[in-house]
Amino acid sequence: MSNPTLERSETPGPGSRLPWHRNEDYRRIFSLLMVGLVVALMTGPSGNRDHPTDGITGSWFHPRVLVFLFAALVIGLLMTGYDRAKGAGRGNPLAPAIAPITAVRDRMTSQPLLRYGVYAAILAFAIFYPQTLSPFWQRVLVDQIGIYVLLALGLNIVVGLAGLLDLGYIAFFAIGSYTTAYFTGKLPVTPPFTLNPLEVVPIAILATLIAGVLLGGPTLRLRGDYLAIVTLGFGEIVRILAVNGDDFFGHNVTNGPRGAVGIPHPSVHAVGINYEWTLSSLPYYYLLLALVIVLLIAFNRLENSRVGRAWTAIREDEVAAAASGVPTVKYKLMAFAIGASTSGFAGVLYASKVGFISPDNYLLLFSILVVTMVIFGGMGSLPGVVLGAAVLQWLPQVLRGKVPPEDRYIYFGALLILMMIFRPQGLLPSRRRSRELKLSEEGIGGADSLGAAPGGAAS
Amino acid sequence: MCFTSQFWQLTVAGLAIGSLYALIALGYTLVYGVLQLINFAHSEVFMAGGFGGLFMVRRLLGDSAPSGAATVLITTAGILAGAAAGAATAFVLERTAYRPLRRRGAPRLAYLISAIGASLFLYNLAGKEFGRLAIPVPQIYESVTVFHIFSARVTTNQLVIAGAGLVMLVGLDRLVAKTRLGQGIRAVAQDAETASLMGVDINKVITLTFVIGGLLGGAAGFLYGLTFNVQYDMGFIPGVKAFTAAVLGGIGNVRGAVLGGLVLGLVENYGVACASSSYRDIIAFMILVLVLLVRPSGILGERLGRSA
Amino acid sequence: MLDRRLLRLAVPLAVGALALTACGGSSGGSSGNGGKKTYTLAYQGPLSGANAQLGINMDNGVRLAVEQANAKGDLPFTLKFANSDDVGDPAQGPTAAQKLIDDSSVVAVVGPAFSGATKASEPLFTQANLVSVSPSATNPTLTSQGFKTFFRVVPPDDAQGAEAGAYMVKGLKAKSIYLVDDKSEYGVGLADVIAKNVAGPKLKREGIPVTKDYSTIAQKVSASGADVMFYAGYYAELALFTKALKAAGYKGAIVSGDGANDDQLITQAGAANAEGIYLTCPCNDANVDPNATDFTAAYKAKFKTNPGTYSPESYDAANAIIAAMKGISGDITRQKVVDAVKAIDYKGITKQIKFEPNGEVQGKTIFVYQVKGGKRAILGTTAELAK
Repeated sequence: MSNPTLERSETPGPGSRLPWHRNEDYRRIFSLLMVGLVVALMTGPSGNRDHPTDGITGSWFHPRVLVFLFAALVIGLLMTGYDRAKGAGRGNPLAPAIAPITAVRDRMTSQPLLRYGVYAAILAFAIFYPQTLSPFWQRVLVDQIGIYVLLALGLNIVVGLAGLLDLGYIAFFAIGSYTTAYFTGKLPVTPPFTLNPLEVVPIAILATLIAGVLLGGPTLRLRGDYLAIVTLGFGEIVRILAVNGDDFFGHNVTNGPRGAVGIPHPSVHAVGINYEWTLSSLPYYYLLLALVIVLLIAFNRLENSRVGRAWTAIREDEVAAAASGVPTVKYKLMAFAIGASTSGFAGVLYASKVGFISPDNYLLLFSILVVTMVIFGGMGSLPGVVLGAAVLQWLPQVLRGKVPPEDRYIYFGALLILMMIFRPQGLLPSRRRSRELKLSEEGIGGADSLGAAPGGAAS
Repeated sequence: MCFTSQFWQLTVAGLAIGSLYALIALGYTLVYGVLQLINFAHSEVFMAGGFGGLFMVRRLLGDSAPSGAATVLITTAGILAGAAAGAATAFVLERTAYRPLRRRGAPRLAYLISAIGASLFLYNLAGKEFGRLAIPVPQIYESVTVFHIFSARVTTNQLVIAGAGLVMLVGLDRLVAKTRLGQGIRAVAQDAETASLMGVDINKVITLTFVIGGLLGGAAGFLYGLTFNVQYDMGFIPGVKAFTAAVLGGIGNVRGAVLGGLVLGLVENYGVACASSSYRDIIAFMILVLVLLVRPSGILGERLGRSA
Repeated sequence: MLDRRLLRLAVPLAVGALALTACGGSSGGSSGNGGKKTYTLAYQGPLSGANAQLGINMDNGVRLAVEQANAKGDLPFTLKFANSDDVGDPAQGPTAAQKLIDDSSVVAVVGPAFSGATKASEPLFTQANLVSVSPSATNPTLTSQGFKTFFRVVPPDDAQGAEAGAYMVKGLKAKSIYLVDDKSEYGVGLADVIAKNVAGPKLKREGIPVTKDYSTIAQKVSASGADVMFYAGYYAELALFTKALKAAGYKGAIVSGDGANDDQLITQAGAANAEGIYLTCPCNDANVDPNATDFTAAYKAKFKTNPGTYSPESYDAANAIIAAMKGISGDITRQKVVDAVKAIDYKGITKQIKFEPNGEVQGKTIFVYQVKGGKRAILGTTAELAK
């Protein structure tokens, strides 16, 4: 597999005699002015079918555009000044913002007491804070944030640790949900026995595990970019089957676009405990919290085990890993299956929490959304992906009524590009990644992992 | 067979849509040739072409119903505007989502993600600017049945698509085979580093490859919009299908992309006649998976690129 | 060293937490205002996304009703308006509903607009005892789910389907019908009922998920020799389908339901292609109906545009709720509004609004429209046309 490393830097840096339009400083200001124009467009008024140019005229031929251009100019000049003052090297523009977090992390690694203190504080916050929230925010915390934190944790194994781009991840979520609907008797086909959603969990995990292996078995041998598009295809196939499943060789299996209604809430009836979840969100929140904590511990151990090291090896250089005797396909398959079953698990919870599922809940866009969360938070970093999922699901709710909800995908798209350019390791990079990063900075390690920073890492 | 009764009609329709797939597939294949990367945002280049052509036709047409030479001129202008919009989008795309990563020598995964980000960004921005509802391209000519082949009707739209497609395909083939730029593209595809040592300006070649792919994809976007209206998310399905076509023919292989497009168009139409139309989009995905499993190098093999 | 860095971390965190709390607390309560209590009548439906226009039509209808009620001056309370955007998406429904439930001044909701979002939201409304009157959710199963506070002012799809079927058989004298649905919740529901109700003519049915390329199905329809094609789906797809049908040489009648009853059908298909299409709809066209002239004028004056699909229905739903609220003595509670809406008998501009115990509106008038000369015109009700 060859890298498209065709060129590193085309100019020797500031100060050399180049025509002005080749000068990096001017180029940067020019790029920033362009970005300013784009941001003006993103935040400006929307056009519509009858007046498709309203958005553009309202954004660019309007005094507000000057604000954005001016801001771009100021930022550009500041950055240039910063570089000049530092003398050499280009600073990471995000570095100052991230610096305090990395500082605390560094300290946490060296001082176990501080580490456990921080964990305890976060746990206490997670337990008590939601009780003070209004039912609306509690619902957001479960329906939007909690479910996606689970999804992101699962995908983190696939994308973050094993380095496999899975764009059909939401399909496993769908399989989990539909399994729940089936075994609770809410699909037109009658199950052999009905269960309550908690009892469906093992079945759903098994089903998604099998689905993951069936999909992964043949496709994981393919190149990474092929894998991305095949999983994308798989995700769409699952959704289309769910839509068309009301006429599956003459049988109504999935109830088609109408979906399944009235999926019951989970309940526990064992060893003297009788508890039933209801419409209210808090009990679900604690269920999710417990699960997330269990998964965090499990995945953390997994990451630092032999398996985790094999994944890292594959991610960094598959050929080299295979050459040193790592059975790559087996480990990739394992990552894929673990991710899939986590997604299926989340699907069970979602189905029983909301009680209504339809194929519209499993669009390709949601797969990409989860990928965005993992990238944003930091591939391979458990606290990173939790934070990534939480922030990206929380923001749209805060901006509810101010920013149209579908516009957020514009920002997510921009975020993905910017992260890849400026901070590919994510908001809270994993420790292993940070180490790789430092090594590559000192010129010891290669830059061929996602940890490679564009120069000058957060310090 | 289930499609024999309408065989010729399905063939005509399949070839028409297939030539569109071919045009888009070329964009994937060319970029793959020089970068060994799938350009996930190519579907948005196609979409940009649709809007570019739409606005041009709207401006030229006004409220008039043109006739004769004006019809031909306006259609051509629409195709050119679509191509220009596609090329411009592809150019910006290369500069923002690819080049900064190339400078850094980022891993492949980073390119995929940044391309997906670009795709997400572009089509949602288009949705915000132009509304999220389908916009019809104003009628330039009335699409009527022009003649029959073996009892199958051939409409004006199909002729325009096939004609424009043919011109562009031949042009591209000559370009790659005969010109200096074509030589450069082939050289970079075979071995980028050696090409660089031999004095090929790799950056320029890559940028121009994106632009050429954009020209073809953008023109296809307008041609598609003529029949199927223009919409912010119009790129996704044709994009996936064209990608399938590129893989089917052998990714990195220019003639393979054309062949793959036509074959996919035909298979899809025959398939729909047999199974229910509701499985139309699944057919392409199934073919994709099958090809990748059985013969990942495609029908004609990966000629321009290298297999990993 | 550590302190300064920690501080830098702490500040944004604290600000974030504060912001979260600030957003968390919703303003509630029915505070006094010049001796009058203030209550909120809310709307839930899509205000953004692909179906935003339909949602805005309804949002405007409710706004107008609230404004007029306050302006009249005979209300024993002051009425406020609020809305909650669910994008027409089932996944967003519960969150949007919760936002309204949390606001204790909200005593009634017009909406949710879409059937999927309604299915996902209604359990919450039932639990909160908050009445919701939908102006447009027409899925038949909604009133059999045990939702206790759900009402709607439009007849369900099965009423429309039965009437549309009867119209095709008796009104259009169909001999062979090709029924195509769009595999959406709405389309399949409507098509199911038509398939059930059409006896006599030959019936073929197919489901085509929303796509752009209808050439193959158009071939099939054309080759089948059907003289009527019914499309259960929305206008954007019917427009493309109609183009494909004309290209395939189809000569029979094209009929569709309320989802396609929009002027955009004509714009997108082209006036020549769309000419003659029949459309059935439980909705009245406020722009031509004499009962609605006042409404249409007021709507135009306020929103600078003509009322759209489901604007009159949402206006009626809001007015019926307001009428019910007027009849309540003492403080208005959510429970009292539910009871009052159950018993309401209000003459709206689209129909007499009176609910059956399950929440369905009585009287199921279905109108037939036809595209004539590039415009939609009402032919009459199915009861008149399908004798």
